Amino acid sequence: MICERIREQIPECLAGHLDSAARERLVAHLEACPACRAELAELNAVWRGLGSLPDPEPGPAMRARFLEVLEAYQAGRASGSVGPATGVPHRWWHVALACALLMIGVFLGRYVAEPRAASPDVAQLKVQVESLRQLVTLSLLQEQSPSSRLRGVTYSYQMARPDEQVEQALLYAVNHDSNVNVRLSAVDALEKYAANPQVRRALADALPMQDSPLVQIALIDLLVQLNDKEAAPALRKLAQDAQADNQVRGHAAWAIQRMEVSQ
Amino acid sequence: MLDVRGGDLGKLELLFDRHHRALFRYFLHLTSNRAVSEDLVQEVFLRILKYRHTYQPETRFCAWMFQVGRNVHMDHAVRHKAEVAMPERGLDVRSSGVPPDLQAQSRQEAALLRRALAAMPPEKREVIVMSRFLDLKYEEIASVLKCEVGAVKVRVYRALRELSDRFFALCGERAS
Repeated sequence: MICERIREQIPECLAGHLDSAARERLVAHLEACPACRAELAELNAVWRGLGSLPDPEPGPAMRARFLEVLEAYQAGRASGSVGPATGVPHRWWHVALACALLMIGVFLGRYVAEPRAASPDVAQLKVQVESLRQLVTLSLLQEQSPSSRLRGVTYSYQMARPDEQVEQALLYAVNHDSNVNVRLSAVDALEKYAANPQVRRALADALPMQDSPLVQIALIDLLVQLNDKEAAPALRKLAQDAQADNQVRGHAAWAIQRMEVSQ
Repeated sequence: MLDVRGGDLGKLELLFDRHHRALFRYFLHLTSNRAVSEDLVQEVFLRILKYRHTYQPETRFCAWMFQVGRNVHMDHAVRHKAEVAMPERGLDVRSSGVPPDLQAQSRQEAALLRRALAAMPPEKREVIVMSRFLDLKYEEIASVLKCEVGAVKVRVYRALRELSDRFFALCGERAS
């Protein structure tokens, strides 16, 4: 029994993380126990061997890829609300200042500025930019690399108006993309399209198709946020599905309660 | 990480610079595939970005990052059940200044040790990687694995014991 307890401390001792009192007890035991000394010698050989294996380094492109994705995420966030809230409460004076600026803007717009017709050139340019954004979003969503597809999702936030093709591409990503992060981001991006009852139905239909609990939880959160009563049967089914992840089942049950309370 | 959680997303670059190598090594030992490991590192940092609001200040960032890493790896393992063998290229031991015959012996032993490690069950390989390659303390490993420190002590010892058995068995096969 003592030998067993002592031997369990050998790896910690080899790592240099054992405190001095425990180390002294270990040394005292080793002096009197040849079997534990042999054990230490054997484990030490393997421990040292592991230490002599090279530290593999990641490729230099990895950092560039990460920065590209971070930049795309930040750009998407700046142009709309991407992802969950940061948990930082707004200060009251931020809200007050925003309201004051809005009222000044409305006042100046109505009574001070000269009424001007929108230039046809500017309107045409806006249409071109919008169509370019749609094109970029759709082509990025079809890329091989997950980070490019993620950029495609974040690009969709920059579109001024919901677009049917982008909506379909995002729904396709939610159901079929191999990368969990792309699916999660696509769920968030579809919030903008949630006024369409077909999209809400597609989100509820996606629940049992997902193999990732994270995506299922994101879908449930969105359906709760939309207070989509028609999703209740799908949520009830998921809450009772013995095959589903425990956390997901619990979250689905919570969502049903939440919707019932808000009725 | 608190700054990132508060919305200063640019600070994530600093965390990436500090920790991406350790994370890459962790995944490489678990998947034996460089390209997959690089992708998984990207996924971890994306999830950190996305779920930054769930970070609790009392948890060490490193432990939280490896918790996210474990989940990412589990999702990956579910999607790709087939294990890929460790490539032999680039596995030379650090051997400058050592005579050629000893270098050859060291290389051979390193290759056997790598084989023994790759053949370990994933949960045992994982604790060896954490304690030996990432130099995490038992308290940190316990936090990542969500278990008691005492359980980590037993798991690391048993994993090292099994690795040792596998390694010396391979050495015996080679000698005979």
